[in-house]
Amino acid sequence: MPEKKVTIDIGDGAAIPTKKDRGLLSAWRLAFFGAVGALLYLILFHPDPYLRLLKFLPDGILITFQVTFSSIALALVVGLITGLGRISRNATINLIASTYVEVVRGIPLLVQLFYIYYALGQFVRVPDMLAAILAMSFCYGAYMGEVFRAGIESIDRGQREASFSLGFNRTQTMFYVILPQALRTILPPVGNEFIALLKDTSLVSILAVSDLLRRGREFASESFLYFETYTMVAIIYLIITLILSKIVGIMEERMGGHGRH
Amino acid sequence: MADTDPIIRIRNISKFFGQLRALDNVSLDIFSGEKVVIIGPSGSGKSTLLRTINQLETVDAGSIVVDGQDLTDKTANINKIRMELGMVFQSFNLFHHKTVLHNLTLAPIKLKNIPREEAEKNAIRLLEKVGIAEKRNCYPAQLSGGQQQRVAIARALAMNPKIMLFDEPTSALDPEMIGEVLDVMVNLAKEGMTMVVVTHEMGFAREVGDRVVFMDEGKIIETGPPEHFFQSPEHPRLRKFLDQIL
Ligand SMILES: Nc1ncnc2c1ncn2[C@@H]1O[C@H](COP(=O)(O)OP(=O)(O)O)[C@@H](O)[C@H]1O
Ligand SMILES: [Mg+2]
Repeated sequence: MPEKKVTIDIGDGAAIPTKKDRGLLSAWRLAFFGAVGALLYLILFHPDPYLRLLKFLPDGILITFQVTFSSIALALVVGLITGLGRISRNATINLIASTYVEVVRGIPLLVQLFYIYYALGQFVRVPDMLAAILAMSFCYGAYMGEVFRAGIESIDRGQREASFSLGFNRTQTMFYVILPQALRTILPPVGNEFIALLKDTSLVSILAVSDLLRRGREFASESFLYFETYTMVAIIYLIITLILSKIVGIMEERMGGHGRH
Repeated sequence: MADTDPIIRIRNISKFFGQLRALDNVSLDIFSGEKVVIIGPSGSGKSTLLRTINQLETVDAGSIVVDGQDLTDKTANINKIRMELGMVFQSFNLFHHKTVLHNLTLAPIKLKNIPREEAEKNAIRLLEKVGIAEKRNCYPAQLSGGQQQRVAIARALAMNPKIMLFDEPTSALDPEMIGEVLDVMVNLAKEGMTMVVVTHEMGFAREVGDRVVFMDEGKIIETGPPEHFFQSPEHPRLRKFLDQIL
């Protein structure tokens, strides 16, 4: 009997609720209101240390967002280039892009972070934050590349042919016809990557970047309130990612299609 | 170029897909203003032949000259030549992310640097011609198949081509919508457009065709005016094909 190929797709990001998935939606609600409720309970009834923590952490949240947004922006650019490289008819470009993806996939993110951070440090003195952003983008650019590639390949061949038949060249066809349509397809996976990246930015706390987690560590090591601190940090991460996954879900629904019912 | 030169000159072209010979030493001349209808059984190479004319398929042997330009010449600017050749596909292939109006204006604005206002005016004129101007702000998915195909014809015409290529333009349509698309094509023919049409609509072939070309197994088997073609088909394979289809 031929072996049946089963693929199980588990995204890296938080689950994006869809209308179809009522169960997931209620799970989202449960998690979100649970987290918000826990947060309110802690700061109202145990203002010491939780209110103190809540005042201490926002600097870190800001840094986490800065790293996340800068990295995602750069990763999108790297991803677009990589995705185009992966479908290029030029064998050399194709090989470079594919090798990059293989290498990035094969090395744990934390190791990449260390490596880029210290490798860069060998030659140039870059600010910690910039090094962290470069490392995150380098890694996520490869994943984004695969997302772009899949999105581009999902567009029907007839679209390209119609574009060519009008006189558009390959580049024009890509930018006027294929990519605008592919963007709609890749929005959900990009949203997922975005959320996954936000969570992974916690790794940069190791590189002397004062993100949310590092601020927490600083607080904990001064106050010795490890449990309380990481409870707070976890709740904040959870609330942020749940809000983001909701936003991505709504955007996905809005972009659902031009006049497609 | 003398008036008697064909606007499309196909000489001894062959095309392989792996081992399969999709086109086998095909030659065909098409003159300006002529309406050529290509018929034949499925898989006989009709689409492939049509698609070589605008180089959506390259050929492995032979030459194609369109409007004096040799397509098989490596230095030929194929994108420029394609602007002279409108193409209509079986599956419409309208740009899903653009409204009807913008499907028509995209290429003229980007490729011919026509000002938006002028391009839109021209687009509306063409949409009126194919009877669908009121849908100009709809997206393709909101239109019926027949409407989409009429928009697709208008989109091709918006580039002001010298030649129009049709690849089974009505084959994907519900029967009640075939007429509205054929009407547009008949009108286009009356205006003197050079047309190469792959179709199974024998009524259209008879009414509009100056010449009918019958293909089988990658070869042109018989070619002639429609009267002769349908009344006294010479080749047994053509007779068999017509028996099946009529
Ligand atoms: N891109 C392709 N790859 C492989 N085979 C193809 C391709 N396009 C067409 N063919 C084959 O070439 C032959 C001619 O196809 P086509 O020109 O589409 O026939 P028709 O339009 O007359 O039905 C068929 O056998 C078809 O399967
Ligand atoms: Mg065909």
